[in-house]
Amino acid sequence: MNKPSAWSSREESLLLLNAYLDNELDAASVLEIERRLAADPALKLEHDRLVQLRGVFASQLKTQKASNDFRRRIEAMAEPKFPPVIRRISLPTRARGFAWREMAAAAALAAIIAAGGTYTFLRPNSQSNEIAAIVADHQRALLAATPFDVASSDRHTVKPWFDSKLALSPQVIDLSSAGFPLAGGRVEVIDGKPVPVLVYQRRAHIISVVAIPRAGQKDTTEPSLATTNDGYFVIQWRGRDFDYTVVSDLAENELDEFVNLWRHAARVN
Amino acid sequence: MDDRQRFREVVLPHLDDALSLARWLTGNVPDAEDVVQDACLRAYRAIATTKDINPRAWLLAIVRNAAFTWLAKNRPKTAVTTNDEALFERASLEMVDPQASPETILIGKIDAEQLHTAIAALPLPYRETLLLREIEELSYQEISKILSIPIGTVMSRLARARNLLIQRLAMAGKGKAGAA
Repeated sequence: MNKPSAWSSREESLLLLNAYLDNELDAASVLEIERRLAADPALKLEHDRLVQLRGVFASQLKTQKASNDFRRRIEAMAEPKFPPVIRRISLPTRARGFAWREMAAAAALAAIIAAGGTYTFLRPNSQSNEIAAIVADHQRALLAATPFDVASSDRHTVKPWFDSKLALSPQVIDLSSAGFPLAGGRVEVIDGKPVPVLVYQRRAHIISVVAIPRAGQKDTTEPSLATTNDGYFVIQWRGRDFDYTVVSDLAENELDEFVNLWRHAARVN
Repeated sequence: MDDRQRFREVVLPHLDDALSLARWLTGNVPDAEDVVQDACLRAYRAIATTKDINPRAWLLAIVRNAAFTWLAKNRPKTAVTTNDEALFERASLEMVDPQASPETILIGKIDAEQLHTAIAALPLPYRETLLLREIEELSYQEISKILSIPIGTVMSRLARARNLLIQRLAMAGKGKAGAA
């Protein structure tokens, strides 16, 4: 702390007295203020009051403790599902780089599967039945007046809608900037359980993203698995808390792109 | 270390401090929680780019700014203009009645409610400086950085804030003694 040029005025003595009590003075200034305190009873009185005040602060001023509920809300920000509003800005370039690499990996994998003539799915048992059911639901949705129950391109509308219907919601990813606008959402019954379905659009094509709850499942970077069923392309992968199945009549490479973008966005969320 | 990890290590340990500051600036806990939640969002977004080596002071600075944004939006009448501030800085620092002995001041008997009322009545620039010092226990230098004011101004605000408090508490203490 610099020593003020003039030490004469009482006001400056008071400033220095406060700094002295706050332990902010250098050694020379400490000696000076202590000398002044010894010589000036009025200043000493002020000193005693400030010490008293400090005692009152110490005994009466309590830190506000965050409630458990509030702490959990803040902690949730650092959990993977929290949407980082800012990072999406840098997404397009980075996503493209990622997407191409992953697409290449997915294509290679698809080629291996095709060449081997065997289909490996996430869960071999009942998996093909599940795919058939999902494709059938997708077809039925296309025949209905609208392929969704809630029409909205706003993920902040769709997510709460799922929450209110099912008390759970998958990640709702906004890919409109990549040419896959969100169209809405619907609820399907798969294997006797209602599950959320996100509906995206690509030109005239409808993409259904079926999210089957798998509580506690961690997000993975496992390659997505592609297959076809009844003329529809189907891509599956494991995400956080959900197994995802995408169904569409969109061209396969475009659907690959969609899935890669979606998974990437879900991961950075 | 990824951002989430950094957020957990940099922000979460100081949540009580953040809430305390916001509570004093807004006046109640629910509003303080709003402010801190907003501040944590800002902190989360900024965490990748911050080079601040003092996480607590960094977070408190964000809380303070979030509180002012919140106050400007929700309580426009309490917003402090620069002119007000200049006025405060010019106000002279008075000694409490030089003849009064510490015993007659009775501030030792002040209860939490009286203290809170007196602090709440302080002009905002004094109040926030005092709180950063007394509740958050920050150094003059940290306070100077958070409030973007010179250290000399930190000193004078602290001195004046305490001076005002002693005067008000002395009155409250006397009132109490008279009533008893």
